[in-house]
Amino acid sequence: MSLKEQFILNFVEDDRWKYLTNGLLNTLTITVFALLLGVVIGIVVAMIRTTYDKTKDSLKKRNKIGYSFFFIVNSICKIYLTVIRGTPVVVQLLIAYFIIFAFSNDGIMVASIAFGINSGAYVAEILRGGIMSIDVGQFEASNSLGFNYVQTMIYVIIPQVIKTVLPTLLNEMIALIKETSIAGYVGIVDLTKGGDIIRGRTFSAFMPLLAVAAIYLVIVSFLTFVLGRVERRLRKSER
Amino acid sequence: MSDNVIIKTENLCKFYGEKIHALENVNVEIKKGEVVVVIGPSGSGKSTFLRSLNMIEPATSGKVIFDGVDIMSAKVNINLHRQRMGMVFQHFNLFPHMTILRNMTIAPMKLLKQSKAEAETKAMELLKRVGLDDRAGAYPSQLSGGQKQRVAIVRALCMNPDVMLFDEPTSALDPEMVGEVLSVMKQLAEEGMTMVVVTHEMGFAKEVSNRILFMDEGKILEDGSPEQIFNNPQNERTKDFLRKVL
Repeated sequence: MSLKEQFILNFVEDDRWKYLTNGLLNTLTITVFALLLGVVIGIVVAMIRTTYDKTKDSLKKRNKIGYSFFFIVNSICKIYLTVIRGTPVVVQLLIAYFIIFAFSNDGIMVASIAFGINSGAYVAEILRGGIMSIDVGQFEASNSLGFNYVQTMIYVIIPQVIKTVLPTLLNEMIALIKETSIAGYVGIVDLTKGGDIIRGRTFSAFMPLLAVAAIYLVIVSFLTFVLGRVERRLRKSER
Repeated sequence: MSDNVIIKTENLCKFYGEKIHALENVNVEIKKGEVVVVIGPSGSGKSTFLRSLNMIEPATSGKVIFDGVDIMSAKVNINLHRQRMGMVFQHFNLFPHMTILRNMTIAPMKLLKQSKAEAETKAMELLKRVGLDDRAGAYPSQLSGGQKQRVAIVRALCMNPDVMLFDEPTSALDPEMVGEVLSVMKQLAEEGMTMVVVTHEMGFAKEVSNRILFMDEGKILEDGSPEQIFNNPQNERTKDFLRKVL
C-alpha cells in the first residue's frame, strides 16, 4: 500500500481523523483542569509544610492548641505526599475511577481530578524546594523591618520563589501532558487512545501511532519554546 | 528604671541543646542616644546577643525590655516593636527582586501606611545623604558591596527606628569599601541615633562609640567607655583579646 493510500485509509475514510482531534481535545481538557487543581493543591500544601517548619518552634511556646492542630494538618500533608509520590499514577487513576468515583460516569472529570491530585504533590514539593532555597537572610531582613510571616511571604519570598520555580513548574506541565496518555485505561478516548482505536480499525499501526507521537511532540516543543522565553525574561530582570 | 533607658535585658539566656550556652544571664541597659559597640572573639555570643534584642533569634529565657515592654512575652506582637528597631546585617539582605527605591519604600508604605509619594520623598532624601540617589532605580545586584550596605542602612532608617542594630556590618566587605559604610554609621551616631554595633572595627569602636561591651563565652565580661576598655582593661581575657586584635 502506498503512503497515500495508507493516509486515506487511516485518516480520511470514515472521518477517522476525528479520533485524533477529539482525543486531543480530551487530552488538553484533562491537562488544563489537572494543572489548575495541581497548582492550587501544590500552593496550599507547600505553604502548610514550610510555614509549619519555620514557625513550629515559636508556636509550640506561644499557642499549644494551635500547634497541635497545625501538627495534624502538616502530618496529613506529609502522608498525602508520601502516598502520591510512592505509587504509580496509573494505579492512582484506576483507584480514582473504579473505587473513589465509582458512582460517576464522567471519565474526563475523574481523570482531571486524579491527575490534579497527583500533580499537586509534585508541584507542592517544587514550591517547597523554592521557598526553602531562599536565603534565610531574606526572612530575617523582612522580619526586622516589621513584616509578619504572611507579609514576608507575599512581598519578599513568593516573588523570588516564582522566579526560581517557574521553569520547573513548566517542566511539570510538560510531563503532565504526556502522563495523561494513560487515560485510556479508564475508557477515556484521549489522543493516545484515539490513535490506538484507528490502529484497531485499520490494522495498520504506522500512520496513526506516528501521528499521535508527532502531535505530542508539537505541543511539547511549543511549551519548551515558551519555557525558554520565560527563562530568558526572568534572567533579564535580575540585571 | 530611668526614663531614658530604651533597651534593657534581664537574665537573658540562650541554649542550644543542653550543654551549649550561647548567652548566660546577660544584663544590660542601653540608654537613648548611646552608641554601644560589642566586641569579643568569634563564638563569644555577641551576634546572638544582638539578634536576641529584636527577637530575630529569640533567647531561651530572660527578658528583653524595649521601651518599657517585655517583648519576650508571648502576648506581645513582636512585629510592631521590630518596626522601631532597624537592623543591618552582615550580608546586606537587600531584596533582589526590587529596585533600591522599592527596597526602601515597601515597609513604610505597607506597615506605616505612608503614601507612595511620601515614602519616596523620604527615601530619596536618605539616598542623597549616603550619595546614592542616582542609583534609586537600580537593582541590588548592580551595586557594589559598600553601596549595598549603605542602602541597607537607609532602608532601615526609612522606618524611623528608635534604635539601630548592626550585625557585623563591614565583615563581608572588601577592605576599600569599609570606610564608606563606617562613615555613614559615624554620621548616624553624630545625629544622636541609639546604636548597638557588633563589629571587629576597633578604630570605629574607639572613635565613635561611647560605650564598649566585651563579651566572651556568652557573658559580658567588661562594660565601659572606650578609654577604659582600650587603655586600662581590667579583665584578663579583655587584655588578651585586645593584644591580639590591636
